[in-house]
Amino acid sequence: MNESLKQELESTFKDIMVTDRRDNRVSVIVKRGQVLAVLRFLRDKGFEHLALISCVDWIDENEFELVYILASYMQNNEEYTDRERLHIILKTRIPRQSPRLETATDIFPNADPYEREIHELFGIKFEGHKRLTPLFLERDYEIPPFRKDFNTRKYVKDLFDNIPCIGIEKK
Amino acid sequence: MRELELYFGPQHLGMVGNFSITLNVEGDQVLEAKANPGYLHRGFEKLMEYRTWIQNFPMVCRINVVEPDSMEMIYAMAVEKLARIEVPERAHYIRSIYLEISRVASHLFGLWAYANMLGFDTVAQWAMYHRDLILDVFEELTGGRVYHIYIWPGGVRRDFPPGFKDKIVNTLHSIGGCVPDYDSTFFNNRLFYERAKGIGKLTQQQAKQWGATGQTLRATGMAYDIRKIESYAAYDKVEWNVPVREDGDAYSRVWVIRDEMIESVHMIFKLLDTMPEGPVYNRIPNPFKWKVPKGDVYVRCESSRGELGLYLVSDGEDKPYRVHFRTPSYPNGLIILEKLLKNASIADVGNIMISLYVVAPEIDR
Repeated sequence: MNESLKQELESTFKDIMVTDRRDNRVSVIVKRGQVLAVLRFLRDKGFEHLALISCVDWIDENEFELVYILASYMQNNEEYTDRERLHIILKTRIPRQSPRLETATDIFPNADPYEREIHELFGIKFEGHKRLTPLFLERDYEIPPFRKDFNTRKYVKDLFDNIPCIGIEKK
Repeated sequence: MRELELYFGPQHLGMVGNFSITLNVEGDQVLEAKANPGYLHRGFEKLMEYRTWIQNFPMVCRINVVEPDSMEMIYAMAVEKLARIEVPERAHYIRSIYLEISRVASHLFGLWAYANMLGFDTVAQWAMYHRDLILDVFEELTGGRVYHIYIWPGGVRRDFPPGFKDKIVNTLHSIGGCVPDYDSTFFNNRLFYERAKGIGKLTQQQAKQWGATGQTLRATGMAYDIRKIESYAAYDKVEWNVPVREDGDAYSRVWVIRDEMIESVHMIFKLLDTMPEGPVYNRIPNPFKWKVPKGDVYVRCESSRGELGLYLVSDGEDKPYRVHFRTPSYPNGLIILEKLLKNASIADVGNIMISLYVVAPEIDR
């Protein structure tokens, strides 16, 4: 299963790196322009469960890494096969300056809130996404708060130390 | 009729937890619903980047208030996989027993919320009382009632105390003895049937498309359970079944929850009978100086609501580089809920939401 998938991916796409990690996880690294094509290819191959879209801020390399985790549902409703165990970890990197990527919501409808979250917490703009509205946060931040250069401890100290304690009157 | 915007929650009688839905209504009918999370966003994933691998344990369990144990499990599993730590056989059994007890507690909590919302106050009080009996079991084992911090990389923190097996068996027997009461008062009650049958109906195709797992998917006929598919702890050591229903509505989802509780109790008895003797943890390096090798993993387990996943990245330091949880309530609360609420009546908003088992702290993290 893993071998044939690897061959198919390598013969269909250029500039793709497929590594079988031997624990039912296959890691696929692609260029940013190919993400949607590879996602569509994998979905048509039966990896129709988009479990997670994650983002890692590699600040030393000045890049963001987008991680799509794909798995498959059961083919019939009762039998368990090796297929459901297999996960594809699809990765791509984009530069940290004005980061943008095309949305995957046309391929996987459940990509919607994951992309909203990454847009809010990392500041990555997903082109074509219809609803990039705030999800969790209530105020704007200069640096999106999940980036590595946002210092949570300093932010908390600056924000809350300025609020006077109850019962202490300012002289 | 005039179209109105209605704020359903966080301060609303029909709402459980810190969650809100903005509804566009016309008369009694919902035209459009927008989930509005964020009332419990504590930024745990970011805070965990500032703490060592072990210091994060008191933090992961707080991500999900209702069932903290599967969060501990998933984090321990990910760290074990990155650091290549083996777990002793007995610890696997203890973990399974512990997770199944917590699944029963979590389902009882869910049943409380659901019964309370439908107006079955008696059943809700029973469920809460029985959950409390399980919290006593946890207190004896770990010292904590809600947050236990019991699972550890390399095993569990300590072995069962003397006489603890009997305590589990007695507690589960006293809860299991009330199943006929639950059935006659609630599950076989005509009122429950009338309120839940056909409400929030989801086809299997839709469920797959919107990323459903857990009961939401199992109620549409697919026996998708990660305990069977990608077995962890000691779930492959004993025989058990995956409860499935076909219709995909609120009624089926609640019945799957009921059947799962009973299956879990049977599984706990089997695990207790076959549990081997031996050590319960392997030593890990000094936690203050512990550096976990470079790499990234995605692990998953079946929490009481569905697929709980964790994407964990280590850059070879003493702290995690990136932690990202895939929680089952996330697609349930942010996608499926919005879709199912379209054209529902206002009275069914709570019904649909609680039958989807939306737990707000898990979404916000």
